[in-house]
Amino acid sequence: MTQILAIIRHDLKLYFSDRRALIMLFVVPIGIASFMGSLFGGSGGKGGTGGGLEILIVDQDDSAVSRGVVAAFVNDSTFRVTVTNEAAARALVLKGQRSVALLLPPGLGTDALPGLFNSARRPIVTLLHDPSRRMEKSLVEGMLVPKVIGSVAQNSLRPEQAREFIHQGLTNLSRDNRPNLPNRQIYRELLERADKLLATRMNQPLFGPTAAGTNVAGTNAFTLPLPFATRTEALTRSSTGDYNGYAHSFAGMGLQFVLMCLLDFAIGLLREREAGMFRRLRVAPLGRGTFLFGKGLSLALISVLSLTGCFAFAMLVFRVRVEGSWPGFVACLLATSLMTASLALAIAAIGQTPAGTRGIGIAVTLLLVMIGGAWVPAFVFPQWLQRVSLITPTRWAVDGFDAMTWRGLGAEAAIMPVAVMLGFTALFGAITWARLRWDAE
Amino acid sequence: MDPSLLSTRQLTKRFGTRTAVDGVSFAIQPGEAVGLLGPNGAGKTTTISLLTGLLHADGGEVLLDGRPLTGDTDPRKRLLGLVPQELALYEELTARDNLAYFGALQGLRGPALSEAARSALGFVGLADRERDKVKTYSGGMKRRLNLAVALLHDPQLLLLDEPTVGVDPQSRNAIFENIEALRRRGKTILYTTHYMEEVERLCDRVIIMDHGRIIVDDSLAGLKQRGTSVNRLRVELAEVREGTWLESVRALSAVRAAEFDALTLELTVADIARGTTEVLACLQHHGLTVTGLATHQPSLEDVFLQLTGRTLRDV
Repeated sequence: MTQILAIIRHDLKLYFSDRRALIMLFVVPIGIASFMGSLFGGSGGKGGTGGGLEILIVDQDDSAVSRGVVAAFVNDSTFRVTVTNEAAARALVLKGQRSVALLLPPGLGTDALPGLFNSARRPIVTLLHDPSRRMEKSLVEGMLVPKVIGSVAQNSLRPEQAREFIHQGLTNLSRDNRPNLPNRQIYRELLERADKLLATRMNQPLFGPTAAGTNVAGTNAFTLPLPFATRTEALTRSSTGDYNGYAHSFAGMGLQFVLMCLLDFAIGLLREREAGMFRRLRVAPLGRGTFLFGKGLSLALISVLSLTGCFAFAMLVFRVRVEGSWPGFVACLLATSLMTASLALAIAAIGQTPAGTRGIGIAVTLLLVMIGGAWVPAFVFPQWLQRVSLITPTRWAVDGFDAMTWRGLGAEAAIMPVAVMLGFTALFGAITWARLRWDAE
Repeated sequence: MDPSLLSTRQLTKRFGTRTAVDGVSFAIQPGEAVGLLGPNGAGKTTTISLLTGLLHADGGEVLLDGRPLTGDTDPRKRLLGLVPQELALYEELTARDNLAYFGALQGLRGPALSEAARSALGFVGLADRERDKVKTYSGGMKRRLNLAVALLHDPQLLLLDEPTVGVDPQSRNAIFENIEALRRRGKTILYTTHYMEEVERLCDRVIIMDHGRIIVDDSLAGLKQRGTSVNRLRVELAEVREGTWLESVRALSAVRAAEFDALTLELTVADIARGTTEVLACLQHHGLTVTGLATHQPSLEDVFLQLTGRTLRDV
């Protein structure tokens, strides 16, 4: 025990005497994780630093309908809207400074309603987009329909206008001389009844705001008959229900830099052997198991300190919270630290020399963090890659942290990641035991 | 039971097809200072590695305090202190931290460890630099600290593997003084080097290795006796004279060989003192005037050359 504690104390002293290593272990992952987190959704919610998708709207109509469309986008937290002119919008999209611009054409207010009944009069809303940002284009395109219909319904279609269309319809029906026009009588009765009904609601909005996607309570208006209603429910057990991109990025980047730093430390172990340090160690009554166990524990402790530092920063600055189980989070952190420590030692044992280990280590580390979802969440991977990534310990580490932070799951969700990582720890430990040269040969 | 502190029996180590140590047997008694000499590649460091358990022997055995080592954690390893050829130190740490680490691995802790570190640093003259990082030390200071680490747990047998490599003369002398002080304390020393003068100064017994084998294991005096064929005498004469004087010189009982060229007489003699007396008397008898006289006694270097046909610094 004295020897193990001596090794741990010594390694920590050695590590903390190296300023560059400390920067790599604490400062760099925090910086990169902050950047990555802001790319992948920030802190989520209204207080998030992401602020939604920035779009441009050119209102060439300036009617109640067009202003209603603009207001609908402005009030949607998914978007950050800038109203501008067409030339500026085209220039900004062309330069890639904005991904999408909407051009609301002149006559939108007057032509949108007749356009519902007459395709020849439909106004054309132009959507300018950066061809490299198709997801944003699709999002705006999808959101455009209910917002325009909602604005038209609220601002354009009134009972007296509808009665005019009905009267026009009745006139057209009576002028139609075809003797066997099917359902003539049914149409006539339908239009006449609708006319009577509308006559009772003169000077009121015909359609309520449901079509714009908001609630219908407290209105006597009809609702536009959209074929469905939507309700969103964020499936996390977090208190906010938001996705916090920083929770993921700090887990991922923390993991990556822990691996890189521990690898560097393991390479240092090989350098020590080359420098004759093992000769001195071997003269002491020190067992191989004690030595490797001590080294593994000191690396794991460095990993614990680094990951704790990363998450502490994320909690203080980016409001990352352990929304799930604290014991589960701690178990994930400890298992991740043991796994990364044993992995670093295993790579050193396989690499045999500092140069060989550096080459193998960089390749393995980058592959594991990339496939393991440390850079970008695994859910953006294709299905086959998501399945493949389950064979990497890093995927389980990241999933474990995600489950305990922003997903807000209970301790039971940490059991599998922790068990898998401990399994990997045993595997890497066995590789280290089998491959690390202890003799001076 | 073997009374030796350390002994080997037919110790053998092979690396592939090369036999680095080939049937080496020797014993070191408590308090002895033994020099292990040989050129680079002779098998000295491999032998040290086998003695300390760093390498496993392919044949033979090592007995420490009369018994073989039972494994990595055998507590009798504490009888050994190794000063490796390399500077096995952590440059980013202070001398104190280095000693604390290695001392703890030897099982020292608490006040005993502090006292041992203080004592070891004081012994090698680095007490006033104990809080400085090793990277700020000179090469000689690092060598001394390398020695201090080995002394920390007060081992009975000190294995010094070329401890003065790359050291300036002043630091080398300081290390010699340290080792001489350790001898006076009764420590047993196995000193590996390829510098003859170091062995002559520090050791009273010499083992010479070449090609993985021991070619000589003898006391310093005994070894020099083996080098009698290289006792040389040089006599400068005032004039060249014809006659039988040179044959008379060659006929002397102490003279093994004699050559005369350009007023200089070069002789190989069995014994310097007797040879000098006989030769000078013979020359006087023949009426020759001696203007100069020089003698050359054999060094270990000469002995090694005589025994192996190579100089010590041959690779």
